[in-house]
Amino acid sequence: MDVRWMRKHQEHVPSVLLCFYTLTSDPTRATLCDNQIKTDVNKIRGLLSQSGYRTRLAVVLLSDQATMPLGEGLQERLSNIQRGCGLDPKAFFLVPPPKESQEELERMAENMLTTLYGLAIEYYRDLGRHARKKRSRGVAPQPTVPPTSGTSQTLSLAGWHVRYDFKSAVFAEFRQEMDNALRSFEQAYENLLSSELLEIIPSWSPRWNEARFLADVMAIRCLRCLLWNDQYSAACRRWQMHRDRIADFVDRRGRGTSNYGWEAWEARWATVMANLIERTDIPDLAPSTLKLYLPPEKNVMGERLQPWELLHHTGYWYRMAANHLRTRRMYAHSMPDDDRRSPSDSPASHVASKAFTYDTYMCPDPHEEYPLTGRGGVNHSRLIIEALIRARTEFQKRGQFRLAAETSLECARELVVVKDWKNIVELLRPIWREMSFRTEGWLTIAEDLSWTLRAGAAMVGEADLVVAIDWELLNKSFTRRMNWHYNITRSLEGVAPPKSKPRIQIADGQILSFFSASFVFKTEEGKAGQSCQGQLSIKSNAHPGSAPIVFSSLQVKFDDIIHTIVLQHQADSQTRQANGNVVLSSVALSAPAVEDASDEGSIRRAGLRGEADLTLNPGQTTVFDMEIPLREPGEASAATLTVSLESDTFDLQHTLNFGQSRDANTWYVSPTARKRIPRPNPMSIRVLPRPPKLEIKPIVWDEQYYTNESISLALEILNAEDADAMAKLSAVLVGEDPPLPSFQLRTSAPDSKFEDSSDLVSEEESSSQVHTQLGTIGASSCLKIHVSLPPVDRSSSFDFTFRVSYHLSTDPSTPITQQITLQLNIANPFEANYDLLPRVHPDPWPSLFDPDTTLLPTPSPDTSDSSPTPTTPTALPNGIKQAWCLTTRYASFASEPLRVLDVDIILHSTPSVSYSHQKAVTTPRGGISEPGKVVRPKTIEEATFDILTQKATLDDRSQSVLDVSFIIKWQRLGRRGGGDDDDGVNVTTLPVPRFNIFGIEPRVLASVSYMATSDSTRVIMLEVMIENASNHFLTFGLSMEPSDEFAFSGPKQTTLNVLPVSRRSATYRLLPLGTEKEEGGAGGHWIKPTLVVRDKYFQKVLRVQPTAEGTKVDKDGGLLIWVPPPAEEAAEGDEDDEDDEGE
Amino acid sequence: MATAIPSIACLGVIGRNNNPLHIQIFPSYDPATNTFAPIRTPLQFSLILYSALDVFDLRSRQNTSSGVGLSGDLGLLHAVDERLAAYGFETNTGTKFVAVVDMRGRRIDSRTAASVAGTQAALAAAATAGVVGLREGEMKPVFKAMQTAYIRLLQNPFYDPDEHSPLPGTGTTGGPGKRITNKRFGEDLRRIGEGWTPGVTNLL
Repeated sequence: MDVRWMRKHQEHVPSVLLCFYTLTSDPTRATLCDNQIKTDVNKIRGLLSQSGYRTRLAVVLLSDQATMPLGEGLQERLSNIQRGCGLDPKAFFLVPPPKESQEELERMAENMLTTLYGLAIEYYRDLGRHARKKRSRGVAPQPTVPPTSGTSQTLSLAGWHVRYDFKSAVFAEFRQEMDNALRSFEQAYENLLSSELLEIIPSWSPRWNEARFLADVMAIRCLRCLLWNDQYSAACRRWQMHRDRIADFVDRRGRGTSNYGWEAWEARWATVMANLIERTDIPDLAPSTLKLYLPPEKNVMGERLQPWELLHHTGYWYRMAANHLRTRRMYAHSMPDDDRRSPSDSPASHVASKAFTYDTYMCPDPHEEYPLTGRGGVNHSRLIIEALIRARTEFQKRGQFRLAAETSLECARELVVVKDWKNIVELLRPIWREMSFRTEGWLTIAEDLSWTLRAGAAMVGEADLVVAIDWELLNKSFTRRMNWHYNITRSLEGVAPPKSKPRIQIADGQILSFFSASFVFKTEEGKAGQSCQGQLSIKSNAHPGSAPIVFSSLQVKFDDIIHTIVLQHQADSQTRQANGNVVLSSVALSAPAVEDASDEGSIRRAGLRGEADLTLNPGQTTVFDMEIPLREPGEASAATLTVSLESDTFDLQHTLNFGQSRDANTWYVSPTARKRIPRPNPMSIRVLPRPPKLEIKPIVWDEQYYTNESISLALEILNAEDADAMAKLSAVLVGEDPPLPSFQLRTSAPDSKFEDSSDLVSEEESSSQVHTQLGTIGASSCLKIHVSLPPVDRSSSFDFTFRVSYHLSTDPSTPITQQITLQLNIANPFEANYDLLPRVHPDPWPSLFDPDTTLLPTPSPDTSDSSPTPTTPTALPNGIKQAWCLTTRYASFASEPLRVLDVDIILHSTPSVSYSHQKAVTTPRGGISEPGKVVRPKTIEEATFDILTQKATLDDRSQSVLDVSFIIKWQRLGRRGGGDDDDGVNVTTLPVPRFNIFGIEPRVLASVSYMATSDSTRVIMLEVMIENASNHFLTFGLSMEPSDEFAFSGPKQTTLNVLPVSRRSATYRLLPLGTEKEEGGAGGHWIKPTLVVRDKYFQKVLRVQPTAEGTKVDKDGGLLIWVPPPAEEAAEGDEDDEDDEGE
Repeated sequence: MATAIPSIACLGVIGRNNNPLHIQIFPSYDPATNTFAPIRTPLQFSLILYSALDVFDLRSRQNTSSGVGLSGDLGLLHAVDERLAAYGFETNTGTKFVAVVDMRGRRIDSRTAASVAGTQAALAAAATAGVVGLREGEMKPVFKAMQTAYIRLLQNPFYDPDEHSPLPGTGTTGGPGKRITNKRFGEDLRRIGEGWTPGVTNLL
């Protein structure tokens, strides 16, 4: 039994033969055709039965035309054909005319297949049954043909069993009964490997290999069944088991497992598994699931599993195959030369021994495997690479990039063997570029890859790659390769010279640089215009013994502010001091002169240049000490270092970022001494703005300004720099209250002339901020600035900021700023309180009974007239008159004495009803005597004003309101009258709270007058005036009680009747009984007459209100009367007068 | 009959930045020469550890997509071939432990093995296969012990974790980080690697 049997059943002998015939619709030819079909079918059947196989026959009749009538006739024809052919009705189909839709046809075909499938299964079941029947006979059948040597071998009974088991398994497989198939295969397999079969076959016999082959086939079929049944772990296990058993066999009985033949088989076996998995197309292993292997099946879940028994994806299997192929090559290459000769030219004894040494199962003989001639033979590398590439694609599909890279590396190693340099470079260059080995520190891997790639690149002539790799491999972290020159300048030796000199650019992080660089500023802060010290240190970590590197230039770039520094190589620098591995050289930097900087401040960037010895020995630390001029304020930090190397064959530029490394804050004082700079970020420096030497001084700037005062300020800008300064001024006023006062700015000539006429006026539209050019201020000269603000109404506080930005004529690229912020306080200078006291109007009231006084202004315009001018007689008011006295006490809240020029009040005319007339009186007591009284802070001044009021008409007796404002005209003391500010007088208006006047309640007003009588005794006339502004007739009772203090004459108790809208008065004469000793002689004193005025009708005591001088009210509301001191001529002893208390 | 049982072939500690912190290689039994020798070269072990990182990446991607836990025992990462398998563990600070197990690293006689406690069960399973398999979770003691050792290392005031696994973004000139050279840690790992056999539950 061999592969032909399989092929017979798989390809040659069908289980079902399906014939298609056309059923003619033409009735005339129908019978003929039907008969033709019948004969044909029968003929086929005859042939089939002749062949001995029970192939089922099925017939499909295709209706050829759409016009086929579906009727009795047709049915009859069909059954006729069927009967005529002796066909099973199940195997007989009729396809209706092709007018049916595509889906219909498909469904029909499907039905047909299902039916036929049943037939096929039946067929194979028959065959399987046959095979089992034969096996169960239990005896080896008689050979059908007599055994002839060479063509066929006799089989033992066990052999027959294997045969039958195999056959029935295959048939079961055809039936898709995989469980059965598996069982049968296993049985056959066990039998085959049992002691009766494989064990007794000698390994030299061709049967041995045949048996192995059969075992392999069965194993493969087993795997197939297992995979079909989703028993993936079992499949793996089966795979391993087969390998182990075969290995065992080969070891024990065959030629051992340490030869290329076995490895070839192993590789093949792994590939077979991979192929099977590929064929099975397991959805759970698809790349999108990100799964690398499948979980074990449930039934083996709890068991101890080998990791490999979890089915991994094909990448792993291919890789395994590649590994075995590599071992195979190893064995093949280790064959002695004798064995590699072809049998024709080697002694026979050798051939014999060879046959025992090498397992040539499914692989070529030694002389073909690895011929001595070196030509032909098996291309192992190609096989390996193929397997690896397949594995790699699988890994890549599943995101296992590292494993893919590893596979690529393996691949490349194979390519080295084949000397396919170009592909090496293609394969490895992308990996080398990104190389996660490097960034993640897997140096050994990186190293391996680099060397491989370098070899390839050198062969291909990729000069830049070669140099870059050499450059990287200088790093001491990589293991040193023996006998390697480690000289970067020689790295292109033996490389095909490229057309042009290669320029190699290496960015930071692209390779693992063999040197590290750091930049340290000595100080944390620097000032613009000065310079700071910085150190660039480059530490080489190259292999000891490698050639020194001589950089052609170094370039240090900074963030902003500081210009790029370029160091050029200059051999034998004198400034080098060396100690051990540290070389310190101080470099003088020179900046090419900056010639122009236009007014807008555009700065031409110019690098700083220096020269130093740029040789870097391996292990050495080279430090360059530099003095870096700082120009602009800001934050500067060292960013990158670019080293350039120029050799005869190539140019190389390597850029390195300054990172935070450990030794990044070491400062080398000398090659021997170093110190740590204890700063978190020593690579950066904060450049403070250049200290401005331009001064801004306030000249006229008081600490307090007042409302209603126009303010003028002055500042002085003094240029204390050594050079002329081109300056700009901006003045900004900032305050809390939104409406900021606008101001004006004037500059006057730098020489301190005071006149503002000669100024360079830059009087812009006044606003709350002003920017202006000041022009050039000469060295040590000054400029005056005047600021004037209009009067401010409210007390407030502002911040005035003056900023002068300038640059010196010697150094136009450095802007300097000086600023000053001054506070401007504006306060109310005065505050006041007010009293409105009643007075007795000197004029008589108009009387209702006197037409002269009342009826005069009858014309109508009067009533509505509110003109304040009393001149027109028509407008003459004739209402009730009242007199008042407004007493104001104002205090200065200024911080300095002020000169008050005048005080005044303004009466705001009350609408229409009342007409007022006022007269300002500067009262003698504490009032303003002379214009320009100096009022000290926190002192209270008093001013009183008499106000006469009169109602417009007598009929109007309603209450009205007195609306007054108090005005103070004042001056600052310091301001000389003839000063530049001619305004001089400031007017502060203070609002006075409203007073109510003209009530209808009756008023009792007491007034006194002093009457000098004969002999120094003063008689006081007390007049009590009762005003009745109401429409009622009122009766008042007056009573005066006698007192010790004085004697009086007048009604002690009387009744006063007051007519409506009239007033009456009662007069008392008082003679104070002042006792000299009580008053101490000086000044007068107060007496308190007990005068009670009672409204008789309402039984209500009216308050007696004091008026004018000499009367006041004490705390209890009682009336007090001033007794003036005796006049200077007053004689003593006149006190004991008669105290008549008569009525 | 001699049975192959798994042993640890290599222990790797990999830092937060996927940088190797420590690699310890253990010899396996070679039946051909009856000696103990590492079955791979250090470079190959490096590659195995390195490729295990792929699986860490994949797992974390799977975990974030499925929303399950972030760290801990990852179990079997993958089997490198039929002999070697990589198991992994990730701490929640991103340090990864990888144990490469050689499934045939040791060979024991059935007779002697019977006396070794805890391995009988394993041997019963191995009776047919000739090789003892591994149950899920049998590597846990290894990782637990490794973590303990690592914690002990971190407690060492002279050990600066940032020096070994610098935070990302803090400069690259120093390379990805130093290796762990602590002697005690190395000895701990050696003890763990040598002491582990299937069924051992406590390696501390």
